[in-house]
Amino acid sequence: MNHRHNRNGLTRRQLIKGLGAASLLPLVGSAPFAIGGQHAGRVIVVGGGFGGATAAKYLKRANPAIDVILVEPNETFYTCPFSNLHLGGLREMDAIAHGYDELEERYGVRVIHAMAEDVDAEAHKVTLSTGRELDYDRLVLSPGVDMRWNALEGYDEEAAEKAPHAWKAGAQTELLRSQLEAMDDGGTFVMVAPDNPFRCPPGPYERASLVANYLAQHKPKSKVLILDAKDNFSKQGLFTAGWERLYGDRIEWVGLSNDGRVTRVDADRLEVETEFGTVHRADVLNVIPPQKAGWIAERAGVTDDSGWVPVKPETFESRQVDDIYVVGDATVAAPMPKSGFCANAQAKVVAAAIAASLESRPAPEAYWTNTCYSLVGPEYGISVAGVYRVQDGVIAEVEGAGGLSPADAPDATRALEAEYAVGWYNAICQDTWGTPLGGRVT
Amino acid sequence: MKRVFPIASLPLVSLLLVGLPLTAQAEETFSDAQLEVMAGGCANCHGTDGRLAGSVPTIAGRPADVLTSRLLDFKHEEVGETTIMDRIAKGFTDAELEALARHFAGIDLENDNEREE
Repeated sequence: MNHRHNRNGLTRRQLIKGLGAASLLPLVGSAPFAIGGQHAGRVIVVGGGFGGATAAKYLKRANPAIDVILVEPNETFYTCPFSNLHLGGLREMDAIAHGYDELEERYGVRVIHAMAEDVDAEAHKVTLSTGRELDYDRLVLSPGVDMRWNALEGYDEEAAEKAPHAWKAGAQTELLRSQLEAMDDGGTFVMVAPDNPFRCPPGPYERASLVANYLAQHKPKSKVLILDAKDNFSKQGLFTAGWERLYGDRIEWVGLSNDGRVTRVDADRLEVETEFGTVHRADVLNVIPPQKAGWIAERAGVTDDSGWVPVKPETFESRQVDDIYVVGDATVAAPMPKSGFCANAQAKVVAAAIAASLESRPAPEAYWTNTCYSLVGPEYGISVAGVYRVQDGVIAEVEGAGGLSPADAPDATRALEAEYAVGWYNAICQDTWGTPLGGRVT
Repeated sequence: MKRVFPIASLPLVSLLLVGLPLTAQAEETFSDAQLEVMAGGCANCHGTDGRLAGSVPTIAGRPADVLTSRLLDFKHEEVGETTIMDRIAKGFTDAELEALARHFAGIDLENDNEREE
């Protein structure tokens, strides 16, 4: 891996840039700014999704003299946001693909494509799948979610090859898309939706929408059945009104109280069984299982009994282990949802907090916002927004702000929100990975 | 070099418009690091430093008074065609919105490398 060694230490260009930027930064007395290639502390970021890539970039923006190493196994990252558009035949995989060139070339982040296999919090060390050990002053974990295999009887990694979750974008997304394309007209797409908390609360319902949109055009006798482990879901009123408007009775949703909770999956027979013994047969079966924080979080000792990561709200430093900060879906950050937007927003707070702590300054006050767009149809967008601050020691929604798209909005507003959804996707991907408008240049 | 935004330098007219007492606002100053965090949420739809152009408009480099009145209108008035900014603006104090307006107004749209060089 020659490219890595080339970036071991600041290049001349980075040094010049670093010194230049340092002079623009607030005066901090004797803080250890980079002089002659020395760094102002090393931060390792594990995970190159919305949270991790943003943290790496904004750490460098806060202080280019911080040595930032991003550890991410994949060279290409596929986003869960907009992966439902691929499922619905509305977007190529390349248009949800992102890379790490900008982080390396423009911001001087050292990117290592490996798995983080262990964390020794005491010694401040991360061990990589290559065997390499890296020291850190601060560690950022942005591990996303892992599936809880076998939490649903019969649903394990092998079953996911027949009944995909497609809740991590990439091969699973393509598998589910190919199954949907191969399905006969008249078939039923069955989705198993989990109880809270899980990644992307409105995601299953956007997926049902865009699958229905595809079926309406290509397999008009087919249906979507959602079997849900809960009685309420995100943007429920907006989704159900949109479904009725665009798809009539093509989408059927069965909640917990109507025996919607699936307890057993038979991936070979494409059958699921509910709590009270109803068996549903699918032609395409999409099982979104219960989830937990990504594995490395557990390994680092930052998860609690819930399987998620409790954090200090002001900084998102772990409540359990010093100098480890955690962002994104892995954290317990309610009322903030597990969304890419929130991961990006949390990462900026973490970057500012770490840059401050490396200079022994207090962290700036935390501000977070979230906007989740969902597409009910290609020209029918809805959203929920929130603005969050720390109040009385916990993360709280700012009263009077945020909320849902109006229930009675005209079609023009839905069309505008669909357009803004695309604008949002372009912007957040530019902000996170530097991806130019219109997708990755390959 | 802590960049602050003393309220005295804001146009008096904006203070009259929002109708808050001068004394309450006079203490609202924000460090660069604080502004970076406050402005962080804007980038998710407007691109890094508010530079991106598309269905969501560019906010970098627009005049501060334009951005200020726009943000305060989103918060306090009914602005036609608004989908999301009313819901976002209500999460910030008037002084925060004014500081954000000045922050984005101060970004040089022509020079995308200003932070690093």
